[in-house]
Order: sequence, then C-alpha cells, then structure tokens
Amino acid sequence: MRRPRSTIDFKDGWFRALAFAAALCPCVASATLGEPEASVQTDGAKFNASIKVTELPSYRLHEIQMPSGSVLKEFSGADGKVFAVVWSGPRVPNLRQAMGQYFDEYAAATSAAQAARTVHSDHTHLQIRKADLVVQTSGHMRALSGRAYLPQAIPSGVSLGDIH
Amino acid sequence: MSATRTSADLGELGIRRWLAALRLGVCATAWASLLSCGGGDGGSSGLSGGGSGSGSTATTAANVASVVANSGPANNTVNTLYTSVTVCLPGSTSNCQTIDNIQVDTGSYGLRILSSVLTLSLPVASAAVGNSLVECTVFADGYSWGPIAAVDVQIAGETASSVPIQLIGDSRFPTIPADCSASGGSEEDTVTAFGANGILGIGVFKQDCGSDCVATVEPASYYGCSSTQCVGTTVPLANQVQNPVALFATDNNGTIIDLPSVAEEGAATLTGSLIFGIDTESNNVSGSETVLTVDPSSGYLTASFNGDPAALSQSFIDSGSNGIYFTDADIPVCTDTDYSGFYCPATSLDLTVTLQGVNSVTSTVDFTVDNAETLGNTNPTFTVFPTLAGTNPVADSFDFGLAFYYGRRVATALEDETTSVGTGPYVAF
Repeated sequence: MRRPRSTIDFKDGWFRALAFAAALCPCVASATLGEPEASVQTDGAKFNASIKVTELPSYRLHEIQMPSGSVLKEFSGADGKVFAVVWSGPRVPNLRQAMGQYFDEYAAATSAAQAARTVHSDHTHLQIRKADLVVQTSGHMRALSGRAYLPQAIPSGVSLGDIH
Repeated sequence: MSATRTSADLGELGIRRWLAALRLGVCATAWASLLSCGGGDGGSSGLSGGGSGSGSTATTAANVASVVANSGPANNTVNTLYTSVTVCLPGSTSNCQTIDNIQVDTGSYGLRILSSVLTLSLPVASAAVGNSLVECTVFADGYSWGPIAAVDVQIAGETASSVPIQLIGDSRFPTIPADCSASGGSEEDTVTAFGANGILGIGVFKQDCGSDCVATVEPASYYGCSSTQCVGTTVPLANQVQNPVALFATDNNGTIIDLPSVAEEGAATLTGSLIFGIDTESNNVSGSETVLTVDPSSGYLTASFNGDPAALSQSFIDSGSNGIYFTDADIPVCTDTDYSGFYCPATSLDLTVTLQGVNSVTSTVDFTVDNAETLGNTNPTFTVFPTLAGTNPVADSFDFGLAFYYGRRVATALEDETTSVGTGPYVAF
C-alpha cells in the first residue's frame, strides 16, 4: 500500500539524507523526547539498533528495532521535535535515553507513587499523568509495553490513538 | 521517598482514599485474623460464593497450597493473591524460613523475596563474567534489584532443590547500574513499594529471561557485580531465576489457581487453592475446559472486544494484575482522582470479550464492570472486587487480572510440558 505523502515542508534536505542513511545503516538510532529529531544523529549508536523512518501526514515515525527484539518508536512533528515515544517487546529499552530530560520527572513520580502505593497497586500497570508529561506502561515479564508523550506538544491532526 | 505530590500529579489508578480506609479500618479494628494486616498466610473463611469448592477437599493434599486475596503485608493492595513459601539452605532441613505474603503471579517467572524479610544468610551465586550474579528485574511499574542465590523451595508438600531465586534489595549490593534504573524507572525494593514480601512467578515460562540471556548480554538484566561495580553478563538457562514449579520433583508441568466466586460488591478477603501439576493427581485432572495456547515468546494471546474485529494482540491472563484492564472510550473513567484510571460507569455494565489462543481456539467470557468509586466507598475495608476494571495503558491489550480468576479454575501449563489436553505454554479454564 502506498504510504500517505507527508504534508510537512521539510526544509532540511540534510535531514532527508540522514533519515535515508539511517534507514540503511543499522548503527544509527533514536531521537529523544522533547528534543529535535537531529538527536538521532547525536544519540548515534547508543541503542546499537536499526531504524526505519516513515513520513505520515501529521508526523514522522522513527521505528527502531533493538537487538533485544524490542521496538522503540519515536514520533516527531513538523517542528522537528519528538513528542512521543512508544516501546514494546521482551525488554524495556533505555528510557533515560528515550525520554531525555523527562526521565527524571517520570522516575520521581513513579517513586512517589510506589512509596505511597497510591497510583497503582500492581506490577503490571503504571500511569503517570502530569501537565507536561504522560507515561503509561503495561505488561508482564518478557512482554512489556509503554508510551511517553508530551500532551502539549502533540501536533494537530495527531490523535492519542496514533501513538501506539 | 515521601509522597509530596498531589494526586493530580500522581495521575491515574490512584486509590488513595480506598487504601487509607483500609489502613485505618482493617488494621485498627480487631480483625479476627492476621490476614489483612500482614501476618497471616491462610485460614480465613473468606467468602464462598458458589465456586467450584475444591478447596475443601484439596487443602490437605500435598500438591495444594492455600492462597488468600487480601490487602497484603503493607496493607495497601486490592485483588492481590498471596501464599506462603518455605526456603532452606540447599540440602538443609533445619536452616529454613517460612515466608508469608508472597504474591502469586502468573505474569512473571521465578521466586523473588524481599531481603528485608529474610533471616537466612544465603551465599550469592557466581556470574559467568566473574564476581556475584545480580539481577535487575524490570516490571511495568518499576524495577527490583538484588543478587541471585540458590535455595531449596517448599510450597505445600512440593519441594524443589537448589532453585535460583532473587533476593530483592540486598544490602550487599547497593550500587545499581545506570542501565538498570534507566530501563526500570524507579526502584521497588521495600515491602511497601513492592506490596508483598516476595513474588512467586508461576507463569508459562521456566526462566525469567530464557534463551535471550544465554546468548547475549541483555541490558537491564543480569550482571556480575563486585561490591562497588557491575558488568553485564550472559547467564546459562539453569543459572537464571527459575519458575520453581518446573523444578518440583513431581507435579511440575503447571499449576491451577482455584478461587471461589465473589458477590458483585466484593469481599473483605478470599481464600482458595493453588494446585500444582495438571493431570498428575486426582485433584488436578483436566476436564472440559477450553485450552488456549499462548505465544511461546511473549505469553500473549489475542482478544476481541465490543465486536471490534481488530484483535487485541497483546492480551494476557495474569493473576498479578489487580483488575480487568481494557480500552473502551464509551465507559466513563472515575472523576475522583483517588480512583482515576478506573472505570466509573453510571450503571453496572455487563460486557463480553472473546479470547483467542495461538491455537485459534476461542472462548467467550462475560464480565461485569461496576463503578470503582462506589465499590470502594461502599465497602472501604474490602480487598476483593470482582468487577473492578480500568483503562489499559496499551490500546492493543486486554488484561484479565485476578478478578478473572474469581469463580474459576484457571490452569497454566508450562512451556514444553504436556498434559492430557495439550502442550504448554497454555492457559485453560
């Protein structure tokens, strides 16, 4: 099936070249939540993973296949910034890498929740909902999924249902 | 870490008021048994709502452990199942400790015990890469860190020798590798944070990691640690944390969790049976149940809900989940932030979901969703809620938690093990 053509004006032909190279090269991976997708480049080989880039009408999807068998997807908007990351598979990827500056906020909120045992009361689910950050995880051992997104940075035309 | 954030910060699935009521109510009152305040491991009458009732005859059998759903050792859980486990130094019958409030979890694999409740002094296993073998166990809600040690395990009359287990939060290994916390989020190495004295992972797999960790150094997994630093390591299958059931001398091909049904409004506690083996004894014979095989890598099966033909491909049956978790945008979520993330329908909803195994066998399940706020506020000391349901963070998933087990006899067959009705990994009910 023909993929929908992007309506985003990518002024940066440099990025297209990078994305194309990334699609071929198994050594480049990952942008970081809240940061420009150029962090694909600076993050470099930290995940030691292969990446596929797909352009959709309202966002760009970076699909990163981890050596562990897990998949990390990163969603970037017209402004070139990553507004969501989604993961699934046998092992949770390095979320500090994937969430960047938001990781500490996520970890602190989770710790507070565990100390109080109020946000959740099982090991199978977690939802952190803050004004600037939503983190939702689910799953059992050997099969874990989750997503983190910046609710105020989701581009128009993108629904939460797209972030999966 | 203190809970200084507002409930809005903390977001969904908050049941603060509910749990506060539990703490004030259950423990402060002269509760007839120790169950709800963390001291007991069985013996309460619970409710008998017309379930299969096998417990009455089976509790004395060597392959049957008593299980109870209550608020746990930290008095802070609902719909969570516990049992007792005895661990001994390998080869010893005197250096043993019986630990209660061990969560029974078909969503994980292997026995893990909080170091803080362990009085035995256990030598730590060695890592292939050198030094001590220590593990980062990543759950959906956080991670647990601690070394691996071999123990003899006894549950009911079943025994397994030299079983590698994890000692969570062991002070001998205080340094947590950066990639462990980076994948796991936050540490849950205390009884309060963990909600149990330990966890008995009796899901379909025999090891916690499996072949992945034999061939490759997986991030946030196993490490060889000195007292000050850790290096990732591969681990042979036999040295990984093992599902103890697979190592039992008998009755080692799977388990059956048998719980009575519960009145719709719930119950204070519920007792039932954890039966070891399938078709190995007179009390675990397969009958006309539906056998749904699950994915041999992930443990997933699929579900179809609300007539939506799109299969929910990341679905699972899990005694370690405390509700029924699924996505239905038409059901209102609770507005009280103490219950946010749970469903709060205006009236009781009778719903239907169809499960499908990897073997293409299907089973249709009826279930009820009640208003979580009403449930909790009406009976604040209850810990058993058969109609508690919440939003699933993963849209492609339907999670059949412990509430699914109430009033059922649910068999879990281990991978590659055969019963009279099939070969695992499967779930049957």
